[in-house]
Amino acid sequence: MVDLTVEVAGIKMQNPVMVASGTFGCGEEYSSLFDVGSLGALVTKGITLKPWQGNKPPRICETPAGLLNAVGLQNPGVDAFVHEILPGMKGYGVPVIANIAGFTKEEFVEIAKRLTGTGVAGLELNISCPNVKAGGMALGTVPELAAEVVEAVVESTSLPVIVKLTPNVTDIVALAQAVTDAGARALSLINTLLGMAIDIKSRRPVLGNVMGGLSGPAIRPVAVRAVWQVSQTVDIPVIGMGGICRGEDALEFILAGATAVAIGSAHFHDPWAAMKIISFLGRYCEENEINDWRELIGAAWKNK
Amino acid sequence: METGRKTGAHPSEHAAGVLEQIALASDCFLLTVAAPNLARAVSPGQFALLGCGTVFDPFLRRPLSIHQVDVERGEVSFLYRAKGAGTQWLSQRRRGDVIPVLGPLGRGFRHSGSGKKGLLVGAGLGAAPLLFLAQELAGRKWSLVILLGGRTKAGILRPDAFERFGTLKTITEDGSTPKKGTIIDLLQEELKKGGWDTIYACGPRAVLKVIQGISCRTGIPAQISVEERMACGLGACLGCVCRSAHSSGYLRVCKEGPVFDAGEVLLDG
Repeated sequence: MVDLTVEVAGIKMQNPVMVASGTFGCGEEYSSLFDVGSLGALVTKGITLKPWQGNKPPRICETPAGLLNAVGLQNPGVDAFVHEILPGMKGYGVPVIANIAGFTKEEFVEIAKRLTGTGVAGLELNISCPNVKAGGMALGTVPELAAEVVEAVVESTSLPVIVKLTPNVTDIVALAQAVTDAGARALSLINTLLGMAIDIKSRRPVLGNVMGGLSGPAIRPVAVRAVWQVSQTVDIPVIGMGGICRGEDALEFILAGATAVAIGSAHFHDPWAAMKIISFLGRYCEENEINDWRELIGAAWKNK
Repeated sequence: METGRKTGAHPSEHAAGVLEQIALASDCFLLTVAAPNLARAVSPGQFALLGCGTVFDPFLRRPLSIHQVDVERGEVSFLYRAKGAGTQWLSQRRRGDVIPVLGPLGRGFRHSGSGKKGLLVGAGLGAAPLLFLAQELAGRKWSLVILLGGRTKAGILRPDAFERFGTLKTITEDGSTPKKGTIIDLLQEELKKGGWDTIYACGPRAVLKVIQGISCRTGIPAQISVEERMACGLGACLGCVCRSAHSSGYLRVCKEGPVFDAGEVLLDG
């Protein structure tokens, strides 16, 4: 069997294929379809300090080769997560990365503290959710503010901190550099692109929240570009995500500089997408006689 | 005890071969596929997600309720309207084509006992999940009155199939059937006769809301099948929610539904 192991932010994974926050629930829903324990890592839905209801429906709108979503972080809050959801997630035997979303710096710190020592393998800071009006977005778009949040969380926890960045900025490299300097151990690229759709019959926005985050194959080139730019600038690993549906897509991200990839919306098209991508990567390495798949990371810019 | 025949059956992927695609009126189609394992596992009111297209556009699968099942022949039928890119693609599939079908999904209609009196209310395409239910309830010796309404006579879907399982009554808004009016007019008339154990309904939200009100006022239990834009179909993404009537939160149409007790959800968004 091909060795697909990799380490991201000190988290050891059996393969580089993770699930993207929000699309995979807490694993339970998919566990009846396949062995969730064969993934590289699980990433939780966004966790807030207090229980959060989320946005009013409709929350989903299909768009060309993708979809808009405005779920708005519906979750039971960090305490319920730790007591009711995490035990089951740990049972799959793969690292659980908690995606956390504060509305202020102080909230991020408090959530991080409550997750420290619970058995989660790391934190993914969601400083880029496009679907929540207060705080969230501003924290993630201004490099200085983003760095402040990251620094505060890093100081408050022993867990490795991964930062998920939004593409809805002028200069994603500057943002990446700022949070790296603040102590991030890895970066997740990219969150959804802010978008909207209007129903021409009702002449009103489709989504209850008016705007939402665009994901799916439609955004893949934007994500590949972001991974390409950022991975050449920072010296921490990049987790690539954004429209990855097939093994070939995952490979494209790895060649662009991703040390791991996350599969999100593809699950809606094909619930077995992540499984098929893992098989593809193994087969690709065999067929191309690649001894260490990690040689492929950033090969597109390393071998210029 | 309540029976939901095979509830708890895990969903799986079925490479369903198209057996028949029949064009009905008003852009509606009756699609029958070979899916023996799905046929065995599914209960009335549940649905499946059908993959549409092969190049990630359309990207999402389409949630379609199970219209009819023939366990012996291993066949499952879907009744749907070709209104967008996904369902139009589906409507072009022909015998021999294979469609990825994920199911069974969701919580279907609940029923208990036998020999009861049921009122089935299907407005337009709302007829879709009711035929399978009618088949099941008739098998349990329920006495059924089935109300189907449409804008025109052509909008009354599969009347012949329904007639096999109970007394069928139809109404159209344009009067192209003997009775002219709305499905609610027909329902009010039927309710006056009394003695109903349960109302089962599917159709536009406006109709379901009226039925919620009727159930509340008369005390007759009602179950409604709700439609919402959907992504994962498994309860993971929280995309297809409906406001809960009992708490301040939301219920997932794909998991706690699509069939809700009338008093369980608020349909105003």
